[in-house]
Amino acid sequence: MLFAVFLPVLLAIFIPFFSKWKEKIHTGYFVLLAPLAVFIYFVPHVGNDFSPVSQSYNWIPSLNIGLDFYLDGLSLLFVLLISGIGTLVTFYSIFYLHKSERLDQFYVYLLLFMTAMFGVVLSDNVFVLYSFWELTSISSFLLIGYWNYREGSRYGALKSMLITVFGGLSMLGGFILLSIITETTSIQAMMEQADVILSSEYFGLILALVLLGAFTKSAQFPFHIWLPDAMEAPTPVSAYLHSATMVKAGIFLVARFTPIFSGSDWFFVFVSGIGILTLVWGSYMAVRQTDLKGILAFSTISQLGMIMSMLGFGTSVAIFAAVFHILNHATFKGSLFMIAGIVDHETGTRDIRRLGGLATLMPISATLAFFGTFSMAGVPLPFLNGFYSKEMFFDASLEIHESSIAFANVLAQAIPYLAVFGSIFTFVYSMYLVFGTFMGEKKLDQLKMKPHEAPIGMLVSPIILVLGVVIIGIFPNLVNSTFLAHTAEAIYGQPMKAKHVEFWHGWITPLYMSLIVVGVGAVLAFTRKSWNSIYSFFPGKLSFNKVYDFLVDQSEKASAKITNLYMTGSLRLYMALILVAILVCSFGVLWITDGFAFDTTGLAEITVHEILIALTMAVAAICTIFTRNKIAAILILGVVGYGLALLFVVYRAPDLALTQLVVETITVALFLLCFYHLPNLRERTEKASQKLINIVISVAFGTLMTVVAISAHSTKLFDKISDYFLETSYKLGGGDNVVNVILVDMRGIDTLFEIVVLGIAAFAIYGLIKLRNKKEAE
Amino acid sequence: MELIMSILAGVLFTAGVYNLLQKQMLRIIIGTALISHGAHLFILTMGELKTGAPPILDYDIEHYADPLPQALILTSIVISFGVTSLLLVLAYRASKENGTDNMEKLRGNEND
Amino acid sequence: MISNLAALPIVIPLIAGVLAALFHKKLKIVRVYAQVLTLINTGVVAYILFYVHQNGSVILESGDWMAPFGIVLVADMLSMTLVLTTNIVAIACIFYAPQSLSQKQEEFYFYTFYFLLISGVSGAFITGDLFNLFVFFEVLLMASYGLIVLGGEKVQLRESMKYVLINLFSSMLFVTTIAFLYSVVGTVNMAQIAERVGEVEQTGILTTIGILLFFVFGTKAALFPLYYWLPRPYIAPNPVISALFGALLTKVGIYSLLRVFSLIFVHERDVTHEFFIWIAALTLIFGSIGALSTNNIKLVVAYNIIPAVGFMLVGIGVYNSTGFSGTVYYLVHDMIIKAALFLLVGAIAYLAGTSDLRKIRGLIHHYPLLGWMFFISAFVLAGIPPFSGFVGKLVLLQGAMEADRIIIAIIGLGSSLLILLSVIRIFVRGFWGEKDESITPNRNAARGFIMPVVFLLFFSVILGVGAEWFYPSIESIGDYLMNPENYIESILKE
Repeated sequence: MLFAVFLPVLLAIFIPFFSKWKEKIHTGYFVLLAPLAVFIYFVPHVGNDFSPVSQSYNWIPSLNIGLDFYLDGLSLLFVLLISGIGTLVTFYSIFYLHKSERLDQFYVYLLLFMTAMFGVVLSDNVFVLYSFWELTSISSFLLIGYWNYREGSRYGALKSMLITVFGGLSMLGGFILLSIITETTSIQAMMEQADVILSSEYFGLILALVLLGAFTKSAQFPFHIWLPDAMEAPTPVSAYLHSATMVKAGIFLVARFTPIFSGSDWFFVFVSGIGILTLVWGSYMAVRQTDLKGILAFSTISQLGMIMSMLGFGTSVAIFAAVFHILNHATFKGSLFMIAGIVDHETGTRDIRRLGGLATLMPISATLAFFGTFSMAGVPLPFLNGFYSKEMFFDASLEIHESSIAFANVLAQAIPYLAVFGSIFTFVYSMYLVFGTFMGEKKLDQLKMKPHEAPIGMLVSPIILVLGVVIIGIFPNLVNSTFLAHTAEAIYGQPMKAKHVEFWHGWITPLYMSLIVVGVGAVLAFTRKSWNSIYSFFPGKLSFNKVYDFLVDQSEKASAKITNLYMTGSLRLYMALILVAILVCSFGVLWITDGFAFDTTGLAEITVHEILIALTMAVAAICTIFTRNKIAAILILGVVGYGLALLFVVYRAPDLALTQLVVETITVALFLLCFYHLPNLRERTEKASQKLINIVISVAFGTLMTVVAISAHSTKLFDKISDYFLETSYKLGGGDNVVNVILVDMRGIDTLFEIVVLGIAAFAIYGLIKLRNKKEAE
Repeated sequence: MELIMSILAGVLFTAGVYNLLQKQMLRIIIGTALISHGAHLFILTMGELKTGAPPILDYDIEHYADPLPQALILTSIVISFGVTSLLLVLAYRASKENGTDNMEKLRGNEND
Repeated sequence: MISNLAALPIVIPLIAGVLAALFHKKLKIVRVYAQVLTLINTGVVAYILFYVHQNGSVILESGDWMAPFGIVLVADMLSMTLVLTTNIVAIACIFYAPQSLSQKQEEFYFYTFYFLLISGVSGAFITGDLFNLFVFFEVLLMASYGLIVLGGEKVQLRESMKYVLINLFSSMLFVTTIAFLYSVVGTVNMAQIAERVGEVEQTGILTTIGILLFFVFGTKAALFPLYYWLPRPYIAPNPVISALFGALLTKVGIYSLLRVFSLIFVHERDVTHEFFIWIAALTLIFGSIGALSTNNIKLVVAYNIIPAVGFMLVGIGVYNSTGFSGTVYYLVHDMIIKAALFLLVGAIAYLAGTSDLRKIRGLIHHYPLLGWMFFISAFVLAGIPPFSGFVGKLVLLQGAMEADRIIIAIIGLGSSLLILLSVIRIFVRGFWGEKDESITPNRNAARGFIMPVVFLLFFSVILGVGAEWFYPSIESIGDYLMNPENYIESILKE
């Protein structure tokens, strides 16, 4: 399986070579190999006696991250969908994309996506699953942005990535919590500890985080907004990623975790609630669209909502129906996208208002579209697979378990009505889509090109998909026990009998529901024009796109506002903020830890001349603030420095005193040198409030230092290591002057690098003086 | 005496910080110089003041001043000297180049 | 294990830097010289790391003065890992430098400053003495002052004033704090400080001193609310210098925090480490907001330093082995990716002629490789698998969640999204779009810029895909940091 997963990426490495011959042979033919090979590899697994297969490869064992692949019924369904549709889409793309396009890039992204998708559905390790998950977001970003010279493409690409990566990150959070609680990173092993997870205090958070990942990926309300904009991608991509596979990754994730989460009633509330809401909203919004792919995008959203809600019901009927519909949706929606692409390709537009009457010009496409849309609408005809799953959906919506949460029961009551409501609109847009495009009057004068039937190569893929629609429609049980039952079982978590699907099973409620849908839908569809005002009125400007745009826009504008508030470039503000932070926190900690100490024992005695020196220094220091003459200020600073040198003398530090004298003298000279040419000190002109703030900060800071110093001095807890220096200075260091021995021997490294510092300073000063820009040199 | 020295160092810090919060470069640099004086005084005070002779070994002396803080101060003095010199030249050049010695006028904007 | 090996990563660049000053005008020679010496030093460092990995920490008591009296240099796994990463970044920068710097800048001692910066950074990682750490801080800061003013442009001088002043203030606070600590515990050797602080259970004033030290290192590391000095000064000098700063300087700060708050001040965690979590949260939030606030691509990268530091502080704050491992992994990752990003935006700004994103478009049509390198860097930075950022982030988040710090973990995840947005918009707006016909591509220059970046990204990929080769060692560093007595005993021995 490792090879199967990575085959597309391996092939992608060779794409640049293949694309050199693209004039002779379309690069797509090489690409075709990958999904086809994977499909052929996995098809033999289909059968009554299927049992899960797992394979493990080491990756980062120390973090419990391994390439553990697990093939059960659920992943088998998805792998076959991904590789099967992948083959068809690649084949279709050969005719869709002209050789003049950057084929190499397109196919590299597409192969990257295939690997990512295979990885998502086959990984048993949550972190590997997450890795592939993000890779699908990235490859989808690149594919949507394929025609990145278009503003819309860039917008759509960024939007899809932000929303799906947002979900991915949240899912990662959920996974980490899961792995900590269960002490495993394997999903299968987590299932065995479902009760541990359900009883964890973090369960609610985990559920929310993981579902957020699923909902964003599967375009559930209100995160659906990225999908319509993703339609900027080339149509093969829309057919593949944004209808058949990637958007179903969220469904897959929910299905994968159903055995764990379904023990909680909240799972039903969230998954079914959001799902049914998405169904209704998506199908209603689809009716309002005028772009063929726009209709299909909202249609996909609503269908995904339907599948999602069924997973939430959690009954065996519902799960089977969900699985069945995943398959059916892939067939009819895939074909419809391809037809939309053909129409676009042949007419130069996807605007349904400019299309019409194409049935006579493109008879094959039209026929295919009829099958696709009627299946999607759930028209009760025995050769349309969409009808079966739709009716099972109605059936399932009537049999929802009782729940301990009151809201859940209300929701359960409402779901059948919402299901019918949403399905009516599904019917309406389906009819609108097919009749608006292929029937009615021709509007050829509004088209850029003269439409005719697409080349046969382009039609092959949709024909195969529609054949799938019909075959499943006629023999609905063909795939049940060999295939779908295993899938449903993997989700349901316990053995399940294959459900026998029949076209006719008597006058029961689901049939009435279907008939209502068809009846009301037909009326609405054929009186569509009179409802236009309502469609355009609601939701009008109320849209979650606005929320997204606002957020992204504000992410820059509000950030700029906030940041510019304090990042003003003003050194004074920066210093003040830093000082306040230090003051608040240090005093706070001093208070909390009761760190203040005051101890007067063993202090040196106070002498008059020391007091005098100290007073002079203090006065001089304060005078630097008030003086307005620069020379005076510098000299007063000198007083402080020389005072310090005197103190060094008093406190038995002759070396220091000497050094301080020399350094102070040079510094004063340097000060004078540098500031001779600069303006004199001005009066300090700040406002009284500013002055007060400065005073408070500086006094507080001085106090902090003094308080900490006194406390530190009063809590001398240990002997100093200096005694050792006094003892060994002569014996081991060979010098009487202990300070010198310390400097050159015991702490020689300090001194060496102190000299280095001086050296660097010299070079830097030299550079500063010598290296000036030309303007000034002139 | 340590108390008084601690307070004096605190005063040096206060005056230094106050100068640091001014606009004019010269005042700001004076502020940093005061702060480094304060820091050195703190180091000295944190050893013990006046408990013995200068740490130059002699046979008849029992108690010496703590030599380690002195060594540390020495290193620190030299380093501060280096930094202050650089800062002075930098300030001179910065004010010449930008035509002002008022730090509040040297804020800049995001695209330069 | 006592060996002079521990001094080599400091001494080699020191000598190299001094010698480079001797023939600073002979650019052809000095370039090759610097490249060769950097490679040699990297080789030596790699060997020492290997040696330490096999034989345990290498400790050098300088001048044979036994610890804690002399200065000890401690080459343990943590410090050597970081020194090696420093040198990897250095290799990329030194090969990038000739394309990026003007002849004048090279002549005016770029290579000397560069080597001394490396020496100072390595010294800060290796030293086991708190005051000596201050000295190495000054070495690297002084070298950085030399570098930041190199060229003497108006903007540089203006921004360096702020940079120098704030760093000078924090250095002074540093020495003062060392003095306070010395008064209480009577030593400046870190192992002995740790031992003594442990003996008295970090009573009294010690925690306050710890917090002061936090502010000293926090200023260097650019934590909230101390990072104001960072963004603009960092983009003022040449990109290669920005890359060195962005990759190395703040990391020294965060390393010091990691060392000090895993070794010394670990007895009042309800106060200190609890506080770090809050600071980390604010740093993450305000840093990411900052990165989104500007259209200047260099500034975007500079702001992105801040949330990364916040991430690393999370690992220190949660105080468990996983958290420490995550911090170290993230540290290594971040040094590499920050250097790569600074070099990349430097190249973009050079090739597009502006660093204003609003004026750049369609660059990928001229420079596809540059575009893809940036694209990958964006995902490395945001912590998207399978790159290095993911492993670091994953381990950090695991550490946070193990410690029941759910909120900070969620803030971390959220900030990842903002970080991704802040850089991917450069790709979407600057690289995608219509071809800008006014640009005449300069492919030669582009290649010189890109190769060092490819070199760095190679490590980002390896650290992600090949995490198994590194993580076990880093995990052992995490355990090692959780048990400071190992460090103390290896130095004090008795």
